[in-house]
Order: sequence, then C-alpha cells, then structure tokens
Amino acid sequence: MTTTAPADVPTASAPLPGDEHRRPAIGPKLAAFTFKYGLVLVLVLMIVFFAVTQPAFRTVDNFLFILQASAVVAIVGLGATVSMTVGGFDLSVGATVSLSVMVAATTMVKFAMTGTTAILFALLAGVGVGLLNAFLIVIARIPDLVATLAAMFLVNGVTLWWVNGQSVAVGMTIDGKPAPGVFTEVFEWLGSGRFLGIPASVIVSAVVFGLVVVLLNFTRWGRALYAVGGNPVAAEAVGIRVRRYRVLAYVISGLLASIGGVLLVARLGRGDVAVGDAYLLQAISAALVGYAVLGANKPNAVGTLVGAVFVATLINGLTMFNFPYYAQSFVQGALLVVALLMSYTLGPRRRR
Amino acid sequence: MIQHHTPGGLGAAESSRTAPFVEISQLSKRFGATVALRSVSFDIRKGETLGLLGANGAGKSTLIKILSGLQPATSGTVSVQGEGREFTSPNQAQQLGIVTVHQNIDDGVVFGMTVAENLMLDTLGLFQPNPFLTYRKIRRRARALLEELELELPLDLPVEQLSASDRQQVSIGRALAKSPNLLILDEPTSTLSSREAELLFGAVRDLQYRGISVLYVSHRMSEIEELCHRAVVLRNGSVVSEHQQPLDLRAVTQSILGDLASTSLGAGRQHAPGDVVMRLRGVRSGKETAPFDLEVRRGEVLGVTGLVGAGKTELLEQLAGTRPLESGVITLNGSEYKPKSVADAIAKGVVMMPEERAVQAIFPDESVSRHLSIGRMGKVSRLGFMDRARERSFAEQVIAKFAVKAAGPDAAIETLSGGNQQKALVGRWLVEQQSLVILDEPFRGVDIGARAVIATELHEYSERAAVIVASSDPEEVLEVADRVLVMVDGRIVSDSPAFEMNSEALADAMSEVQRTTTSGAPQS
Ligand SMILES: Nc1ncnc2c1ncn2[C@@H]1O[C@H](COP(=O)(O)OP(=O)(O)OP(=O)(O)O)[C@@H](O)[C@H]1O
Ligand SMILES: [Mg+2]
Repeated sequence: MTTTAPADVPTASAPLPGDEHRRPAIGPKLAAFTFKYGLVLVLVLMIVFFAVTQPAFRTVDNFLFILQASAVVAIVGLGATVSMTVGGFDLSVGATVSLSVMVAATTMVKFAMTGTTAILFALLAGVGVGLLNAFLIVIARIPDLVATLAAMFLVNGVTLWWVNGQSVAVGMTIDGKPAPGVFTEVFEWLGSGRFLGIPASVIVSAVVFGLVVVLLNFTRWGRALYAVGGNPVAAEAVGIRVRRYRVLAYVISGLLASIGGVLLVARLGRGDVAVGDAYLLQAISAALVGYAVLGANKPNAVGTLVGAVFVATLINGLTMFNFPYYAQSFVQGALLVVALLMSYTLGPRRRR
Repeated sequence: MIQHHTPGGLGAAESSRTAPFVEISQLSKRFGATVALRSVSFDIRKGETLGLLGANGAGKSTLIKILSGLQPATSGTVSVQGEGREFTSPNQAQQLGIVTVHQNIDDGVVFGMTVAENLMLDTLGLFQPNPFLTYRKIRRRARALLEELELELPLDLPVEQLSASDRQQVSIGRALAKSPNLLILDEPTSTLSSREAELLFGAVRDLQYRGISVLYVSHRMSEIEELCHRAVVLRNGSVVSEHQQPLDLRAVTQSILGDLASTSLGAGRQHAPGDVVMRLRGVRSGKETAPFDLEVRRGEVLGVTGLVGAGKTELLEQLAGTRPLESGVITLNGSEYKPKSVADAIAKGVVMMPEERAVQAIFPDESVSRHLSIGRMGKVSRLGFMDRARERSFAEQVIAKFAVKAAGPDAAIETLSGGNQQKALVGRWLVEQQSLVILDEPFRGVDIGARAVIATELHEYSERAAVIVASSDPEEVLEVADRVLVMVDGRIVSDSPAFEMNSEALADAMSEVQRTTTSGAPQS
C-alpha cells in the first residue's frame, strides 16, 4: 500500500512556510561577526583611542617604531605559523633566535669575518635546527611538541657552551687579548639604517611576510602544507609527500627564526646570552592570535602579522599611559585569551 | 544470500504497534540558504521498524541528528510518548531511550581507548557504589556483551587500529548495550560485509520481538524489504510517500528518485575488452599468499569482490603505490611499472580512491573545490601558483557531471551529505584521462540513482582507461562490472564475465571456499 503526497516537491532554496515572519536571530549572527572581524575591529578601535588621547602616538615616527618593534616577533611568528600548517608546533624558535644571534656575533667579533658571512652562518644555523627538528619528528617519529622541546634545550645548551655562557660584544677580551672584529656595515644598516625613510628591519619583515603569504595562499606547496596538517593520511593518498612537507615546514621555521635573530643582533649591536628566549612565547602567541583574524580559524600569515603588530601597538600605547613594563606579560596573556575565545568559543564547532 | 522473510514482531507487539513512540510534527531545518527539512511529519510507532528512505542529500541524516539531540530544529516539534520534547543534547535523547548509530562511524567510537573501554563507555559515567573500576572488570563486562551479541572483536586493541567494519560493530554494540527504546541506525551496513550485516539484522529482529522501535536508514532496498514494517520516503527535505509491507519496490524507487527515475537504471550493455593496460605477473596480495597473474584491460570494468579481509585492498594498494610490491612484476602500457610512492603512481596515470572516506579522503573544514583539485594540483597551477579560475571550473565540471548536491564549489565538504561527498570524491578522478582508475568501495552510502550515474560514467570511462572496482557487496559489483574476480584469503578463486554470474553464485564463491580451506589465516 502506498500513499503519495502531492508530486511537486519544493526545491532546496524555496522559502520555508513562515519564513516571512522569521526575524533573523541576533545571537548567532553577532557571534559570527565577532568571530570574523572582532579582533581587527578591536585593533582599529585601540589605534583610534590611542591616537586621539596621545598626540605622541599618532606620529609617523611612532608608527614606524611600532612596526620595528614587531618585526622580529612577526618573522619568528611566521616561521612558527608554517610549522603549524603541517599540524606541528615549533617550540625551538626562541632557542634558534638565540643561537643565530650568537653565531652572527661571534663570526664578526671573534673571527673578524664579514657581515655577509655572519648572516650566512646564522641562517645556516637556523636551517640546521630545522633539520634537527625534522629528523626527530619525521625520522625518529617523536611527537612535535616533545621533539621541539628537546631541541630547544639542546640548542640553548649548545649556544651557551659555544660562548662559555658569556655575552659577545665588540672589544671584549678573549684569552687576555681584545677581540679582533667589529659589527660591519651590513649590520649597522640592518640595525638602524633606513630606505626611503623606512627602517631596514621593517623592510626585511615585509619581504618575509610577502613571501610567506604567497607560499601559503597562492602556491600548490602551500595547499600541500595545509593538507598535511588537515589529514596526513588523506594527503598521502592523493600523492602528497607528507614527510617531505613536514621537513620543509620545520626548515622554514628554523630559517625564519634565524632571520629574526640576525635582525635582533643587528638592533642590539651585541650578542646577549639567551636574548631569544622571550621571542618563543611572543611568536607563538602572535601565530595563535592570528587564528582569530578574519575568521581563519587556522594558522595563517596575515593573522600572524596582525597578531605581532597588535601586541606591539598595545604595549606602545600603554607605555605612553605610563603602564608599568612588568605588566606587559599580563597584557599579552589577556590578548591571547580574548583571541582564543574568539576563534574557539565563537567559531564553528569542530569535530574531535 | 538475503532471505525474504517478512519482518518479525508481528505477534505480541502487534496490538501496541499502532501507538506512536515518537511523533514528528512540522519539523523544518535550514542551513543558511539550504533547506534540509521542510515541514516533515510522521510517527515512529512502538515496536515497529520504520525505514527512512531518500536520495543523497534528502535530509535523512539531518532528521536523525535532530532526533538524537545533535542539532536543533529550525521549527517544528518532536514528542516522545505523547510529551513534547526539545532535545538540546544527545544525553537528553538517550535518557528517553533514543539511541543512535550515526552515519559517520567515527562519531560512535572514542579513539585512544580500547575496544573493551569503548563498549563500556556509557556505563563508565554512571554512579556506582564502588568507585574503583579496574580494566579487568570493564573487560569482563565487555566480553559478556560481545558474547550476548555474538560478535567477535579484539577487546584490548585501541579502536583506531580496527577496520572500518569492526569500528562500526563497536558502535552498534555500544548502542545495543544502552537498551534503547528507539534505536536509530543511519546507514549501518554501508561498511559491513554481508556476514556482519546478517548479525546486525539478527539483532534488529531481536529488538522487534521485544517490541522496541527501530528507525532504519539504508540505500539498499533488499534490507528495507527484509527488515521494515513500513517505510517513509524523503525527497528534497519533504516527506513524499509512505509505504507499507509488502513494499512495492518500483513505487518506492520512483518515489525516492522523483523526476530522475526516468534515467535508465543499470542499463544492459555489451562490452568489448580492448588492449591490456596493466599486466601482473607473480603478484601476491599478502606475504604468505600464493602468487597469481592478472591482466587488466581497457574497455571493461573489472570488479573485485570478496569478504572483508579477503585481500582486495592489500592487492589494490600495491598497484597504487600505497604499499610496496610483495613480489612479481607489473607492466603498465607495455613498460615496467614499479611505483615508489602514490605521487609516482599518479604521475604514471594510476589513481586510487581509498575505501574509508572520513579517514582517508576528507580534509576537515576545507572546501569541495580544494578536495577536487588536491590530487591534481599540477593541472590547476602554473609554475607552482594555483590558478583559481581553472580550479573552479574543474570543480563545477565534477559537480555537474555527478549531480553533486552542494551549495557551491566553495562549500565546506562537511556540509555535503555523506553520499554527495562520495560522488564528488569519486568524480574527481573520472573527468580526466588516466591509465588505470581503482575505486575501493565506491558505492558506500551512495543512493541508487547516483549509483547508476557512477556506473554509467565508469562504463563510458572504461572505453579510454582500465577501471577496477572493489566491493564486498556482490550485488554492487554485478551492477557495474563486466568481469568479476572473487578473492578468498588473498587468492583469486574465480574470474569470469559478469553475465555468467549472479549474486548468489558470487556469495557462494566468496564464502564456500573459505569454509573448506583449513589454512584460513586471516589477512590484513
Ligand atoms: N552543516 C551543514 N551545513 C550546510 N548544509 C548542510 C549541513 N548538513 C547538511 N546540509 C545539507 O542538508 C541536506 C541534507 O543532508 P543530509 O546529510 O541530511 O542528507 P542524507 O539524506 O543523510 O543524505 P545521504 O544519503 O547522502 O547520507 C544536504 O543538501 C546537505 O548539503
Ligand atoms: Mg546521511
């Protein structure tokens, strides 16, 4: 026996009965809006507020100063972002910054080589750490978090050992004699030079940012990186060399951390011990704040840059209000919590 | 294989079968611009097994998610035993005895826990006077449960190491352990072999005799006919018809497909085997099985069937570069073929669609279009840069050709119904020229209309390339294949043209031989 309803079945896009009376629900819409634009909106409002209340804030110089202050965090954070795209996590970026700072400083000061050589060695050191991470994770199959934690300790240890736990500065005495080398011109330019009025470090970070944006968003390799992070089994099944991409991601992460280190040592003009430590948390939190930018809900280059600039702006503005420097950590923590609330609590529910 | 006895429970439960257990009234659900359910009303009576039918994307899973408290309805009511209810969580539905086995099998198991822990998961949260629950105790109870259900599962293995069908059995076992008043099964047999399916049918009949209601979703008509007292058909989110036992299958099919019913279903065809594309010499499916030779030709669809674990996947994965070759030599279009990786195989024109969709093919939160281009990025990029326009037009081509129901190429893959995901993922390999296309269980969760579309496309496609289709369901294989191989314990026990076979003969070949062999070392 069969009973059949009228033959004409409405299509999926036809309105539901009662649709005309339906008022769009405010709650979910607001949540969706906040999820997407919330963080950018807060940044803009914050900039407007500081600009209105603090005349010193709204100068071009201060603007460039903020960008300069966020340059190293942004570059290191972009590296961490790339490691996150493959579903990993690089805890060794801070240690890599320290390592490359020391490598660059000793190359010039102790061995009196050129700045270009120093940069080359520093970047090679960064790639080396990336390869170490890749070895531990891809070959030895240690989970990312644990492997890069171990690498962090190892790299920190090696760095300290290498300089006997001492800072490296021009004119320091080594074995009773003054050190032969100096920071060369390249480093002076990187540290305080300008091009068309823009600080060198800002130019370098802009270039790095551009390259990472292009890599992640516009190339097939970027697609593959995200695919590996999304589902490595499925990625393998469509012919993506998962292991190679994970190696690539960690090498890029190490390389960018060492670029950050080079900029840092150029700005400081000396190789301080453990100077990179602070950059681990800042870089990672910039990358995580980036999840909440424009509703990406995944590691992304634009978000990381916004995250880095956000922190620098906030600290800059608060300093003008005489906010104590020791409260900076708290401010960063609060920002991270807000960003995580936006991406995880207000964002679409994820499975598992 | 399938005996046509009428559903049980007609005796004692008959009188109460008229009283509704769940009443669904004017239920609607919308996702943005898509209306998934439109004023749906029907009852699920006490003690009856109700079939819920409909094409891919008709709204079956959505309805079930509402009934089980996973998603809220946009409007309408659900009442249980005469009382209006609004479920805001799966827990609430379960307290009323509504227990669901969802279409995505991994929703029903917790990774990282053993089979025993998974089976007992729901009792772990209950209050017990003795707070110390040892693993031994859990294990003992889980074993008792398995014995009661006549299931055989490795209790101490983490669930993620189980095959899809075993994981499905775990979720079914879990559901039955909750002693439901209404058991909802969303395509439970799509990953089960026929033997495991028979066990499930036994369990359902047992529930029928005990007067427990079942809501049963399947694309396999034979199951609906065998198990259900009544069937409701959804099309585009509306109830279009209701059918009583004995079912008029033609009317049901027509009602499911609507206008599409006119498209020829499994039209007969003559095939002319062409050149050999791939030649296997001394290849084996596993380490310890006997080697064999095989030729795969253009112009015919080669079906491979056998029970779950017979070695189909193991063999096919060697061809696709997923596994290293055990032994022997393969030639592809005349030259030696020894894929070092999947990428290598794809470059040589050998592509494979793996059997487990959720685990092996879905990238969470990514768009349909990205899923379609991920395996062929070389063709939608220039110097490494993605060409979005070409990517989009390829996606539109697949969507149109395989009638994929999606909001558009940029819709997230999870917003598609299970069958539509499958159509898109199969279709992405069939638009371009390949040498050999291997599809492992391509019909999982695909409705009859779409099956016909895929079968027709495969036949047309096989004029240009070799096609292998593996399935543990003999009827599915006969629907699409021109030549059928039967595998048992890693060996090929029969190789014959499809027109010489029928599903009974295939089922016999799949199981008989296995019973007589003593060296029944299970594969995989
Ligand atoms: N989260 C979601 N967002 C947007 N659309 C959705 C979502 N979930 C389901 N849909 C849409 O609702 C419709 C019904 O989907 P549903 O999963 O209920 O189909 P189904 O009948 O179970 O199909 P199948 O037989 O393929 O499993 C489909 O058009 C689907 O694309
Ligand atoms: Mg479904």
